Amino acid sequence: MNTASSTAPLLELRGISKQFPGVKALDDVSFAVYPGEVHMLVGENGAGKSSLMKVLCGAYTADEGQFFYKGEKVVIGSPADARAFGIAVIFQEFSLVPYLSIAQNIFLGREFPGRFPGTIDHTKMHREAKKILALLGLDIPTRTLVHDLGVAQQQMVEIAKALSQNARILVMDEPTAALSDRETERLFAMIRQLQSDGVAIVYISHRMAEVFAMGDRITVLRDGKKVGSLLPGEATPDELVRLMVGRSVDRSYARNFCKTAGELLLEVKGLRSAMGVNGVDLTVRSGEIVGLSGLVGAGRTEVARAIFGADRVTGGEVLLYSKPHQGGPDKAVAAGMALIPESRKAEGLALIRSVCDNLVLPGLPLAFPNRIYKATKARQIANALIERLRISTPSALRPVRLLSGGNQQKVVIGKWLGSESRLFIIDEPTRGIDVGAKAEIFALIDQLVQQGAGVLMISSELSEIVQVCDRTYVMRDGRIAGHLSREQLSEENILKLGVQHE
Amino acid sequence: MNDSTIALNSPSALWAGLSRVPGVAWILGFLVIGFAFATGDFLSGPNLLNIGLQSVILLMLALPMTLIIMTEGVDISMGALLTLASVVLAWVLAHDGSLMLALAASLAIGLVFGLANGMLVAWLKMPPFVVTLGTMGMAEGLALLFTDGQSIVVANDTLAAVYGGSLLGIPQTLLIGAIAYVFTHWLLYHTRFGTYIFALGGNPDALSLAGIRTNAYLIAVYAFGGLMTGLAALILTSRMSSGHPTAAIGMEFDAIAAVVVGGTSFEHGNGWLFGTLLGVLAVGALRNGLNLLTVPSSVQVSCIGLLVIVALLIDGFKGKK
Repeated sequence: MNTASSTAPLLELRGISKQFPGVKALDDVSFAVYPGEVHMLVGENGAGKSSLMKVLCGAYTADEGQFFYKGEKVVIGSPADARAFGIAVIFQEFSLVPYLSIAQNIFLGREFPGRFPGTIDHTKMHREAKKILALLGLDIPTRTLVHDLGVAQQQMVEIAKALSQNARILVMDEPTAALSDRETERLFAMIRQLQSDGVAIVYISHRMAEVFAMGDRITVLRDGKKVGSLLPGEATPDELVRLMVGRSVDRSYARNFCKTAGELLLEVKGLRSAMGVNGVDLTVRSGEIVGLSGLVGAGRTEVARAIFGADRVTGGEVLLYSKPHQGGPDKAVAAGMALIPESRKAEGLALIRSVCDNLVLPGLPLAFPNRIYKATKARQIANALIERLRISTPSALRPVRLLSGGNQQKVVIGKWLGSESRLFIIDEPTRGIDVGAKAEIFALIDQLVQQGAGVLMISSELSEIVQVCDRTYVMRDGRIAGHLSREQLSEENILKLGVQHE
Repeated sequence: MNDSTIALNSPSALWAGLSRVPGVAWILGFLVIGFAFATGDFLSGPNLLNIGLQSVILLMLALPMTLIIMTEGVDISMGALLTLASVVLAWVLAHDGSLMLALAASLAIGLVFGLANGMLVAWLKMPPFVVTLGTMGMAEGLALLFTDGQSIVVANDTLAAVYGGSLLGIPQTLLIGAIAYVFTHWLLYHTRFGTYIFALGGNPDALSLAGIRTNAYLIAVYAFGGLMTGLAALILTSRMSSGHPTAAIGMEFDAIAAVVVGGTSFEHGNGWLFGTLLGVLAVGALRNGLNLLTVPSSVQVSCIGLLVIVALLIDGFKGKK
């Protein structure tokens, strides 16, 4: 099966770089796929796997670098170019149309012409679709609407779609994330069959067991660079994890860690939600920053939303300040809880309103007990906060949308300083913020806990969790996979808990 | 194009449709039984024919409206455009133009407005509601300007024969309605264009990743709406023997109501053309029955609004189970 070394690469990428504003997504990455091999692509969140995948399929154009197809220099500048070279991608977000049938989805954009111009030969389409489904060992009527299929079956339709394009290079992004064990087995059987037909497969995965069971070659990315290319026999899962994390640890956000935590602010027992939280226990005490870590999709944001009452809770209990708490976000805010959401522009800020309006919003009941708003007093409160938070804005009246990302984030966090909240859930506080502003954001969060607040901080950046948190929970598949105390906290340990070992 | 070809080519679509039937079928059945008891004439042959004839114009708006709503859009300019096309058609006839010339003018007006709607929505990414609100105002104003607020009366036998005439004993108007339905069904379920309508609402990214120029198809959907409206103007003008500057103002409301009652959703390209036909009949039956009961037309509008809410409630209730 694995004759990779004896043949020429099917596709080779040399020195690929891709720059986005503020971040180098790919930095001089070289990568080759051979016919009949499963090439595993691994790395932390944000290591550059998705960017590389998008360059491969023509969705991104690389700033630098060259492509070689069967040894000849080629250009891949659009999805159409990629398709012409037989590259097909199965994204995690499906590219299926819900109210079209399986067959219509497989051949979307490539319909068989019928007798009259513009018409479709349905008979032929369903016959061909049936053949492809049979190859995958699927026995579903090709007329079934995709909407009526489960996630796993939808995934199979995606794969069928790729196969129908005679893909020679198949790129799969976490294909087993939504599959059951049996469906995973079936997928693997199919991958092996494709392999023996000479199809090259690029497979992105977080699951160590898969990486070692299916991979013929493993490429490790970190911070947009290729840090290793090895054969499965050359490393243990632990060594691979170490390679993914790297050794450089940047200690730029040092703070005084909490020696003795105060009273219990939040206690969550067996929490379940409609959005996939699957029995979570955790506590947050006064004076501590507690991390909630795990890989993307592990269910961190969902836990935050369930605690806050933004998603429907289906089981378990939440104790806030030692009192049972339930209900929607309004109740949570009234009870003294603040959620600082992941997407500050969509959920955290009224973008067209002024800095002043945004800052005073959560503290309104406290600042104006008789319910009458006074603009001068609001301005005073806002100016005091602006000074304290060192928000750089020419005036309190400037619309928030005109501020930089870091300053916007200060407004999002700072506005809660004026309220009675003592429990803060902060989701990805440093997303899209430059390094300097990050330090200030963390200083601000530190200030909150110094004043006796408790913070539950969600972050995809392991280095942040390690540097800032007093302790952390690590999530996997909607559950808490483990807990790490300050002494145990390291990126390596988080990843070990966060990836599936089996 | 009979039922068996429908079943052959899209049984899954039909099945998805059948599971929705109760929503609109319950309503239609309830209305028919209710009005049969409440009035003496509702179930009489002539009245049923009347409902059919009156529903054809609404059907010709509701059919393209279904496709437009399936793309997660809407066209609220249809009523005003129908009015404008009708007065232009009447004007051409009143100035001794031929019926063909008049129809061509009406279709041209419809096409121009439809293309304009589509291009603004597709190219400028403007919200369909706002775009068609603008063109609605323009069409409404132009109709008034054109007629000076007066009806253009047309005494023309050829025109009168369109609405009143029969072919092989079947009223011509019903035939036109049937052809419009079958044609739209063919378009939606048997052509690439139709497949892409499902995709435009369900997952436009998938469509453009498949290398399809989505904008061209989006514009075509609105243009089809304009053409059907232009054609409907022929029947409207023939029925009234005149072009009246406010004849069909607000008719898009009935059309959208019929589509929604018929089970088409404003999201994810979830549309069902046969449901629209039933929805049109439900709205037609309601209007007709209330007329027989001499309910004022303002109250009729409220009743259609209520019908929409009830249909959504029934479908929502079923969806939950």
